[in-house]
Amino acid sequence: MDLRAFLRRTAMSRPAVLVVTLPGATRLRLEVEAELRRREWPVVGAPAAADLLVVCGDPAAQGAWPEWLDDIERSMPEPAARAVMGESARVGGALDAGRGEVTGRAVAPRGDGGRHEDRAAPSGDGHHRPADHAEHMDHAEHMDHHASHMDHQDHSPGGHMDHTGHMDHAGHDMHAMADIAGLPMAERADDRDELRLDRLHVPIGPGLTDWPTGLILRLALQGDVVQGVEVDHLPVPPAHRPPFWDEPWLRAARGEEVTRGGAARRRCAAHLDSAGRLLAVVGWDDVAAPFRRLRDELLAGASRTEVAGEVHRTVRRVGRSRVLRWSIAGLGRLPADTARAAGVSGPALAATGDAYDRLLMWLGEIERGLEVLDDTRPLAPDDRTGPRGRLDGPRPPSQALLDVLPDLLTGVEFACARIVVASLDPDLDELALAPVTGAAHA
Amino acid sequence: MPENAPVWAIVVLPVALAVAAVVTAGFDAVLSGAAGRGHAGGIRRAGRRAATPVREALRLLVQQPRRTTAADRLLGRLGVVLVPVAAVLAGAVLPWGFRAVSDPSVGVVWFNAMEALAWAAVWLAGWGPNSALSLISGYRFLAQGLAYELPHMFALTTAALGAESLRVGDVVAAQEGVWFVVWMPVAFAAYLLSALAMAFWGPFAHPLARDAAGGAAAELAGVDRLVFLGGRWLLLVVTAGFSVPLFLGGGHGPLLPGWAWTLLKTAAVLALLVILRRALPVLRMERYMEAAWMVLVPLTLLQALFVAVVVLNR
Repeated sequence: MDLRAFLRRTAMSRPAVLVVTLPGATRLRLEVEAELRRREWPVVGAPAAADLLVVCGDPAAQGAWPEWLDDIERSMPEPAARAVMGESARVGGALDAGRGEVTGRAVAPRGDGGRHEDRAAPSGDGHHRPADHAEHMDHAEHMDHHASHMDHQDHSPGGHMDHTGHMDHAGHDMHAMADIAGLPMAERADDRDELRLDRLHVPIGPGLTDWPTGLILRLALQGDVVQGVEVDHLPVPPAHRPPFWDEPWLRAARGEEVTRGGAARRRCAAHLDSAGRLLAVVGWDDVAAPFRRLRDELLAGASRTEVAGEVHRTVRRVGRSRVLRWSIAGLGRLPADTARAAGVSGPALAATGDAYDRLLMWLGEIERGLEVLDDTRPLAPDDRTGPRGRLDGPRPPSQALLDVLPDLLTGVEFACARIVVASLDPDLDELALAPVTGAAHA
Repeated sequence: MPENAPVWAIVVLPVALAVAAVVTAGFDAVLSGAAGRGHAGGIRRAGRRAATPVREALRLLVQQPRRTTAADRLLGRLGVVLVPVAAVLAGAVLPWGFRAVSDPSVGVVWFNAMEALAWAAVWLAGWGPNSALSLISGYRFLAQGLAYELPHMFALTTAALGAESLRVGDVVAAQEGVWFVVWMPVAFAAYLLSALAMAFWGPFAHPLARDAAGGAAAELAGVDRLVFLGGRWLLLVVTAGFSVPLFLGGGHGPLLPGWAWTLLKTAAVLALLVILRRALPVLRMERYMEAAWMVLVPLTLLQALFVAVVVLNR
């Protein structure tokens, strides 16, 4: 019995997981989150902390192979592995396979020595991925990788399927532009007080946790103050199924039979998901976690009597917290007329206020939705108000939420920016929606 | 009168602190598990959850550390290592019952100085990897330091004032009758808040917050991560433990020997902190700064004034 191998295998019996979701894979993400919770595997928020990268959705559907995924994997410490969740119902098996790969590598490290040294330093050697470095001072985070690669589509998309053979990047040497270790220095620009300060371009997303799936924000930061925002997102492939959170309303619009209870259930789950994200971003895991558990129980078909008690208890706990109110009130104020002008509908419009008001609006809708959970009457076919707003408008509701982001984010601090985004929680799956809504009338 | 502990206590101290940290982290893991996954519903399952810190430590030992481009490895490493070192050095003046590893005449100042090392530690750890988010988070801790340090120092001063000595042993001896917490409740509360802030844990975990992908620890992997995050638990244990000699009468108590009282009181304070933490989100320093300077500083000053008047008239 090799004690070291045994210890290594035991250590990785519950690998730390970084979950990255691609647009259109909300259902898979929920399945994976529920399964990880059941297995009690630690879920982490950065590649450095992760052993296993779990990708929800089909990377090949992204058009070009998403190289930022390779970059995330390369910036994970050994032993690192990736598990792609392509299909629902196979989540458990794929996670097991991923863990098998991690334990295998832990017991027999690749090349022992030189090789894993190389991998542990994803961008440590100058020639490894200079293409990234030319643009960003900090290439170490997973958030950066995506954006830098979006601009470098000249990489052959298929050539990177084998993510262990990355030495071919050497051809992209751009040391001429570099100042320090292949990285440019920050540029300078006037800040809000017209002082000339360093300005850093930091793209965030799409690999962040508790972040709208597929969203990328290109921030210009001075210190931790956001001076400029460009909203971008991963390509949203046209889906053969309607967006997960809007499904009941769209199906009813097509003439299918959907009960009011079923729609209310989906709306409650959507808001529990959004509120759970916001609460996780503000660092209150003790209520974020039950919200997610209740969301999954609702989606699994739990009856009203099973969940109502705990939902009410948790909602009350959040609503009563003065510290939470004090902490996020005043962030991301969105008055009704601004919201209406941008085409926002749904809770973000009804709340007419800041991040805290939007949270309360979600909580209120959750409690109201619980009341009609067991209503078996059919949903009115002209009811098109999904969790994020009216689905029969000229644009999907989440597009309007994305449109208001730059104004809300400019001038706020980084920490507040995350809270503002989470309090709107746009669902990028809806961006594939536009033609579907039009066709629904036919 | 307090006396110095035997030499072997120097070896025992880090081990004892580590054990206390693992137990505290285990308790925290059980409570987190109950919130996230429902109640354990069995002693075995609860036990498995309580073992989470040990399993995590083993996992991080197997994981390889990593480097980032143009990292300041020397300063980054220094920051990581400083966290547990500061905790253990601060723990040197922590009396067990009535004996500490060392009981210098300026013990309270020594304790505060060692805690201040945490400022350097977190900032250096954030600076080291040359990464925007971890640097932002390193600076968050400096803002946090500005917010908590003044009320904290006034709280320490108040206890020292009550004992008319900066020697920790004297502070304990002065509480033979009435514990300081009875007539210095504000200082005690301010101390507990700043203990959490110093250990950048719980509601004060903003420098390591999820919104910045783990903040100052975002780029740490393997043993670096273990030392940094483990050191944080050590800091929490030490700062919480120091409230016992300062305000809760140290080893004084009926029936049981001094060391047992110290242990019991420390466990009670830690349990209180771990449980109370669940009621609060992470505080953004921008907001806490207002509360700290507008409310806590005046309150702790009034508390110090009250104690000073009492001491002058006795």
